Amino acid sequence: MTIVEPERVTALTTKLARRRGIPRRRAGLAGYLFVSGYTILLLVFGIIPTGYAVYLAFTNDQGQFTGLNQFIKVAQDYRFGPAFVNIFIYLVMWLVLVIVLTTLVAVILRARMKPGLAAVFRFLYYIPGALAGVASVLVWLFMLDPAVSPASGLLRALGFDNFSQVLAPENLPVILVLIAFWTGAGGWIVVMYGALNNIPEEVLEAARMDGAGPWQSAWHIQIPMIRKWIVYQSILAFAAGTQLFVEPQLLQTASLGRVSPTWAPNQLAYVFAFQHGDFNGAAALSIFLLALGLIVATILVTRSGLFKVDDE
Amino acid sequence: MKSPLLTSRRKATGALALVTVGLLAALTGCASAASTGGSTSATAFKPVTQSASSEITVWADSTRLPAVQAYQKSHPNVKMNIVTYDGSADGSTYLQTKVQLFDRTGKGWPDLVFASPTDVTWASQPTSKGAVPFAAPLDSGKLVPQATLDNFAKGSLSACQFNGNTYCLRNDIAQVVLWYNKTLMDQWGYTVPTTWEQYEALGQKVATEHPGYLVGAVGDTNSQESYFWSSQCPAQQLQKDGSLQVNLQAKDCTRMASLLDTLISAKSVSTQGFFTQGFDGSKVLMANGPSWYGQYLFNSAFKTPAGQIAAANPLTWAGESTAATGNVGGGVWMVSSHSKNLKAATAVATWLTTSDANLTNAPTYPAYSPGAKSWLANPANKDYFATDISGPFQKAADEVWTGWSNTKFSDATAWSSVVLPGLTAGKSLTDLLPAWQTAIVNEAKSVGYTVTTK
Amino acid sequence: MTSSTLAAGRAQAPGRRVSRFVSIGIVVLILVLLIVFFVLPVIWLLLAPTKTAGQLVSQFPLSFGSFSQVGQAWQHLVSFQGGVIFVWLKNSAIYSVGSLILTLLTSVTAGYALALTKFRGRKLLLTVTLVVMIMPSAALVLPTFLELNWFHLIGTVWSIILPFSFFPFGVYLVYIYFATSLPRDLLSAARIDGCNEWQVFWRIAMPLAKPVVGLIAFFSFVNNWNNFFLPYLVLPSSDQFPIQVGLNQLLSSTPSFNPVAGKGLNITSPELALAIIIAILPVLIVFLFSQRALVSGMLAGATKE
Repeated sequence: MTIVEPERVTALTTKLARRRGIPRRRAGLAGYLFVSGYTILLLVFGIIPTGYAVYLAFTNDQGQFTGLNQFIKVAQDYRFGPAFVNIFIYLVMWLVLVIVLTTLVAVILRARMKPGLAAVFRFLYYIPGALAGVASVLVWLFMLDPAVSPASGLLRALGFDNFSQVLAPENLPVILVLIAFWTGAGGWIVVMYGALNNIPEEVLEAARMDGAGPWQSAWHIQIPMIRKWIVYQSILAFAAGTQLFVEPQLLQTASLGRVSPTWAPNQLAYVFAFQHGDFNGAAALSIFLLALGLIVATILVTRSGLFKVDDE
Repeated sequence: MKSPLLTSRRKATGALALVTVGLLAALTGCASAASTGGSTSATAFKPVTQSASSEITVWADSTRLPAVQAYQKSHPNVKMNIVTYDGSADGSTYLQTKVQLFDRTGKGWPDLVFASPTDVTWASQPTSKGAVPFAAPLDSGKLVPQATLDNFAKGSLSACQFNGNTYCLRNDIAQVVLWYNKTLMDQWGYTVPTTWEQYEALGQKVATEHPGYLVGAVGDTNSQESYFWSSQCPAQQLQKDGSLQVNLQAKDCTRMASLLDTLISAKSVSTQGFFTQGFDGSKVLMANGPSWYGQYLFNSAFKTPAGQIAAANPLTWAGESTAATGNVGGGVWMVSSHSKNLKAATAVATWLTTSDANLTNAPTYPAYSPGAKSWLANPANKDYFATDISGPFQKAADEVWTGWSNTKFSDATAWSSVVLPGLTAGKSLTDLLPAWQTAIVNEAKSVGYTVTTK
Repeated sequence: MTSSTLAAGRAQAPGRRVSRFVSIGIVVLILVLLIVFFVLPVIWLLLAPTKTAGQLVSQFPLSFGSFSQVGQAWQHLVSFQGGVIFVWLKNSAIYSVGSLILTLLTSVTAGYALALTKFRGRKLLLTVTLVVMIMPSAALVLPTFLELNWFHLIGTVWSIILPFSFFPFGVYLVYIYFATSLPRDLLSAARIDGCNEWQVFWRIAMPLAKPVVGLIAFFSFVNNWNNFFLPYLVLPSSDQFPIQVGLNQLLSSTPSFNPVAGKGLNITSPELALAIIIAILPVLIVFLFSQRALVSGMLAGATKE
């Protein structure tokens, strides 16, 4: 067989529904082969560096085992608490915004629009995704400065007359969420739209025949069917939040120091490593963040069955 | 295949709890987590094997790049690899980060770098136990003759001096003078203040007679160096025993805070920074600030027409005989202790910081006194101003107070991220002094200083 | 889906017209607000190089300056350190495309195997991948740097290409795509028909995977193009910088962000904006071309029951 016809696929699927599992061993060998290239990269640029970081977190710069002392040391640092509070506020806003809005927009674009128009919208939403790091921070420095912003009317209406008022410490999580959403949401809308596109038309057609409105079929059919994607997005968005670094760092530089250089925990880890020369403390701090991410990921993965290939 | 992490949550939680308890039980009484690097004093400097033909790598910022290229042009037989980087501007830690990494791989260091004075504080010490400090002591082994070092402006090399050695050559200094708009001052019949008390009185007068005009601004990331440094405030003063004195309740600090508070509430001192986008430079009557304000602030940023701006001697406090002023920035050149060609690298550094060929047209005021004379003799550096700035510049250059120590942390962080947001929120400087103090003390302790607050 | 909820929907027929208007209103409002949010800054950015730094502050933010000003900004930008911006762009292209190829080779096969074959350690691999993705980058820099040094790669293009080609996000995309969209039974059928594992992958899975291959190719390219941290820390020479690190250098040469930056450099906000536009053009072009692949109908008709 060379070409896969959709009808043939369906036919085969039903015909062979209960005959799986025969070629398991053969597939096992091939599986190793297929993952070999990736596994090497994972080992060299993922596992070994992570392992080394874990080693660093439990030792001191003499290589002596220190138990939890590194963790206690960084947790007692005066910048530890504020950084984690900052990132917590940021994460809550960021997760809610990115998950709810990108899913909502993808559903609207998929259900309410002609594909051509939807493509235009997706492109417009995506454009900022091309601006990362320096570019996005720079653009937002101008957007948030009442003296030069196209939205200065809005900023003044909110009570901000100059840039230093906008950059007040309590506004920073919002600003960073804005930047992250501006650059990151477009990509996720594309992914979610693709996922929704994957839902067979017949399923939606059936729902329509049953009298379901667009919101109902979105809530009861589309969203449950792209659940895996949403879980995946949540884990990644959470991890990206805990790893926040480049944006606050550049904001700190470009705002002439109005933002604390240790605003986010990852920045604090960087300061530990490269300014204090304390790579062990930096590693311990990173393990804190890793643990946080792992707890969330474990909950999401076990609740959603993300890793299940099929019923086992 | 079932993984314990994923199949049963309860099982996983239980296992995790067990592991945690086990770890906690096993982990008592371990080695100390304190980092030992950075505090050990440097041993005698031993250069690596030298090779006169070896290529030297020079790191410069964009501003200093043309000078380095000019050296290469006039010395074509010196093999140079010129790299540009951010020059440690705006508190960037690029250089420190790279050196940390190079120290761990044992290679890759540049031979000569342009950097900020803060960089010298870590570069003069080993980054970890057993590492060689990055900066080579230039006075040992006669790399730079003592006679040359003696010619630098008084106190300008103090930022380079640690453990009795000199680790860098000062590129430029940024002595604080009193800038004023001569055209406006003449037009309104004001006399240029010579003391802080007169400055305060004039500020209040301006506020009532010409509301909207400013005699200063404190919202820049380095305004504390213009004001509190000039006031000899012991915000970060290294003591003989190596401890750091941080005492913002000293009278030298509170007098400046209350002076500024008066003028801030009179609205003749702005809590915005001069370098804020859209800052209206035509409303600036006076500015207490560094020597580079002339070209970089008034000429470039404010676009004030030529012939209006003048500089006056640093302000003093009534009844005080010792004149003192602040310093805002200025770069240094450090030679790497790992260089295979110390001679060539030092030659470049010496040419950049002391030769008339380079300094006459330097963008900022040279720290090397004979070079500063040539710089002042160059009409291009003075044409813009209403009066001859030579007098105030030279006077201020020798009056920079040495009690504001070059510390391992940047003095801009606490000021910009604690004091400035507080000012924006409407608090007074006097009220903010305790918070500022706490921020400095925390930062100082975190990099290993013993702090005294008396 | 339950029949009771759908029945409830049908029962509300009289009120439907009103709710329809409300719902359309909400939809339009959301889309329009988001368009403004996403596009307005971009329009501002496109207009910025047409003005001088002074006009940028004094004129209406969305006004158009002049084309001659764009030409001038271009001249300033090109003369910055002797046209180094072209070197940065070339470097970015080499790093991005080089690692894109490696990423595709490794992640499509891996994602496929993780989703559709069973082998010992599959879940372990998935779990470890996830753990590594959550690990904060600051802690990984030192070990990665030491490794690259160990393999004598510092200063070569491989010091960027190899770490970039490790793209777990892509592996997961492929994994979820295959896991949700390609029936295992289809593969079993092919195996019974006598295909070997490679043929199954190449003849059945790959043709169906085109959209997801396009998706990860796109994301990998964008990721590589925009990555700042690794090249910033690893590359020893400014001639090797990619455009993102270059932009940072331009930023620190701009007087509004670094007051003591040289006056002779002529790098101000408009030049910076122009540099940003040039830096993002390749990403936008790639996006336009891959748009169709990104969302084309995937495997319509085949259901997983």
